[in-house]
Amino acid sequence: MEDLLEYGLKELDKHGLRYGDIRFSDISTESIHVKNGAVESIKHRQSSGYGIRVIDGGWGFASSSNLTEEGISHTVKRAVRIAKASSVASDPIRLKEITIYQDEYTSPYRINPFDVQLEEKLEILTEAESRMKTDECVRVSTANFTAWHFAQLFGSTEGAKIKQDFIQCGGGISATAMDGNDVQTRSYPNSFGGDFHSEGFEFFRSLELVENAEKVGKEAVALLKAKQCPSGNTDLILETSQLALQIHESCGHPTELDRVRGTEASFAGTSFMTTDKLNTLRYGSKDVSLVSDATTPYGLGTFGYDDEGVKARKTDLVREGLFVGYQSSREDAAIIGVPVSGNMRADGWENIPLVRMTNINLEPGEWTREEIIEDTKRGIIMDTIKSWSIDDKRLNFLFGTEAGYLVENGEIVGMLKNPTYTGITYEFWNNCNAIAGTDEWRLHGVPNCGKGEPGQIMRVGHGCAPSRFKDVRVGVGKW
Amino acid sequence: MVTHEELERLADTLFEKTEADELEIVVTSDNSALTRYANSRIHQNIGRMDNGLSIRAIFGKRIGSASTNSLSEDLALRALKRAETIAKHQREDPHFRGLPEKAEGGKEKSSSYVPSTANFTPEERADAVKKIIDHASRKGVDRVYGSFQNSEQGLFVANTNGIRKMEKITKACLTVTAIADWDNDRGFGWGEACSPDVNRIDPVAVAEVAVEKGLNNIDMSSVEPGEYTVVLEPLAVKSLLIYMGFMGFSSRAVQEQRSFLNGKFGKRIMHEEVNIRDDVGHEEMVGTTFDFEGVPKQRVDIIRDGVVNEVVYDSYTAGREEGKKSTGHALPMPNPSSPITMNLILDKGDMSTEEMVETTDKGILVTRFNYCGVVHPVKSILTGLTRDGTWLIEDGEVSKPLKNLRFTQNLTEAFSQLEGIGKEQKLFSFDYYPVFVLCPALKITNFNFTGGTEF
Repeated sequence: MEDLLEYGLKELDKHGLRYGDIRFSDISTESIHVKNGAVESIKHRQSSGYGIRVIDGGWGFASSSNLTEEGISHTVKRAVRIAKASSVASDPIRLKEITIYQDEYTSPYRINPFDVQLEEKLEILTEAESRMKTDECVRVSTANFTAWHFAQLFGSTEGAKIKQDFIQCGGGISATAMDGNDVQTRSYPNSFGGDFHSEGFEFFRSLELVENAEKVGKEAVALLKAKQCPSGNTDLILETSQLALQIHESCGHPTELDRVRGTEASFAGTSFMTTDKLNTLRYGSKDVSLVSDATTPYGLGTFGYDDEGVKARKTDLVREGLFVGYQSSREDAAIIGVPVSGNMRADGWENIPLVRMTNINLEPGEWTREEIIEDTKRGIIMDTIKSWSIDDKRLNFLFGTEAGYLVENGEIVGMLKNPTYTGITYEFWNNCNAIAGTDEWRLHGVPNCGKGEPGQIMRVGHGCAPSRFKDVRVGVGKW
Repeated sequence: MVTHEELERLADTLFEKTEADELEIVVTSDNSALTRYANSRIHQNIGRMDNGLSIRAIFGKRIGSASTNSLSEDLALRALKRAETIAKHQREDPHFRGLPEKAEGGKEKSSSYVPSTANFTPEERADAVKKIIDHASRKGVDRVYGSFQNSEQGLFVANTNGIRKMEKITKACLTVTAIADWDNDRGFGWGEACSPDVNRIDPVAVAEVAVEKGLNNIDMSSVEPGEYTVVLEPLAVKSLLIYMGFMGFSSRAVQEQRSFLNGKFGKRIMHEEVNIRDDVGHEEMVGTTFDFEGVPKQRVDIIRDGVVNEVVYDSYTAGREEGKKSTGHALPMPNPSSPITMNLILDKGDMSTEEMVETTDKGILVTRFNYCGVVHPVKSILTGLTRDGTWLIEDGEVSKPLKNLRFTQNLTEAFSQLEGIGKEQKLFSFDYYPVFVLCPALKITNFNFTGGTEF
């Protein structure tokens, strides 16, 4: 790849461009899906190629899997032609000045998941899957494993040359129970595939899927007999697997500066967190501090450098409730006049980098989960993502969770099914009145964040601890 | 793009070298381009070329799968070896009945491939965007947003049971969001067009729809959440149909008893004028005529006269039921998300959107929905928000723009409460799956809005 990078940079030089970069990626993925006693799929995927981004009157980007000098020359020409075409409706493009690096980064791991025998993975998954069948009501049980290996090489006409290598993996289990009248699902450690880290196979082992399987199966069955979540306003305690999604949707996306500037207006939408609100909007209560942190150990959004060559860093988004910062690209940062945050990431070599979340974390508080429950006179605990919906400015949200637990006078008194809650983002976060501490702070990996046209899927992280929100509307809709 | 002859040679090589009992290869090719614009300026402009080779190797009932994006013989053979190694270490899948056999049908649709779409240039896309910007500006809208994409996609499937098929399709899609009053964060309007033939898309006409909506969406009012009669434009109906498909139209969902159709086959669950089918053969529909297993796509009448009739199958789910055959709706296999509806059609009726409005005393006109989420698949409950133009209807007239509303609605009930079906259908594509939808507008009573937004 390094020879091709040098060749490609020389090709870019021939065009006398103001700016150009080339990003090579070689990506391997292994995924295993076990369902109802059968290993339904074992897949290995490999993809390699490069994307070339240039400024020549406007932006141009072209990507190709043709890993030859001829292929690179052709792709450079295509990118330049596209950029020139863009110039009929482009403003002059400015990029924020950054420190230029030549460096290497490797994500930390102990056991490469691609070196682990298939038999061991299958043994964990099939055993966990079968242990969830605690009752004949459990009709569908699944267990998943996914591992990724990314080898990347980035170079720019500014002199950057950065080599990065990442290992990521994780998985989860899920049981669906049915009794003829209802269907309920319970998952661990999270739904939609489980939980994921930038870590080796040791992380997958640490999830202890087999040890947790029986509990998951029993909870799915228990949900069938649980009471319907009541409708009304109440205290809401979110467990970390659900709070991760709340952070993702209501803080992560609205602080992406490209959305704020309108460049996602026709697709993903815009944001209520406009530039006039920077340093003035009371986003949350004093307890709420949120950061974008690409340096969080083992985060799914952790790296050495972003896909513009900006060194990984931590950026305050909300500090003690006040909205103070954005996730940005070099271009966004130059236009708005804010610091560059190093959030440009692309899904694979074939896509253009966009402003994407890294690890958006809620800083820990000083409570314990037990203290929060004991301090709650009447409320509902909600756990594990089931459905999500939010408007295109990220204000009005409605989330469904797998399981709810009614709290009365400081004690959990019963299970609730179909729990949903809704609210307006800043009202919700301003009603946050308790956050658990470091001991209960968990880092979750979300492998399926969608954005952009053509659609890109990104892996991001969210760290948080169980938290309480007062006066939240729950039990939405007719049941 | 790679030629049919090259792919035939690759298939011959892999079939000759394999040790597996059965082998399937699927090659996808993609040559696509997209110009995005925002704030009336082009901000992203891309072109990409890629291929994908997926190999499914089978020993008895043990299946392994590997893929690469290289079509070189060396890397293809490496992927073959990997698929075979996985299969040898795999456990038997008792539900697997073998790869599909060669079947008749699936004659290529000439209307799904238009060379001028494949050859549409970045200069032509940029020129179209410039026309949109200029038209909006003349109408007093200084900020438009959207994308114009054109693509050429190929699919080749071959297996050791004699299937060898190849087809190419083209697609062009244009979207326009007009924001008539950016400074005050209001005046949103939307226009969209999708066709296999880029020449059938008139950028100025699409822009005009968005601009008109935007200019009429300035002074928004609020209404209390509750049940309203709604007139849903075709794009809003598309969202409901797509999610209905995900929630219940696949045999896998039915077999796993998580479909809202379970226990309802042969029963009327929707208004008697509702006919929903999957049919790539419809003259206005786009798509390959076979699926990712090379099985010809059959017409599947899912809801006929409001009655639950049948669902879509791939070879794996067909093998789990006595006497069933694949209907040609497989995704790349093995795949826990397969099968899916790929060419959904809601039959048209006889009302115009204007007539739907004129016959409504009090209701809400919806341009489209945003960010829908399944709240309960078995109860077919979906939630989402209106976007880019929502208006109050009073005494048969569109009276004033509304702030966006959240709905939380049982879709089976919604499709039972029809008061009108539009007489014009529109074609839409879906970003993350190879799915097309052709549908008209709908008028529905007692549609449940559960909340509102501030804009």
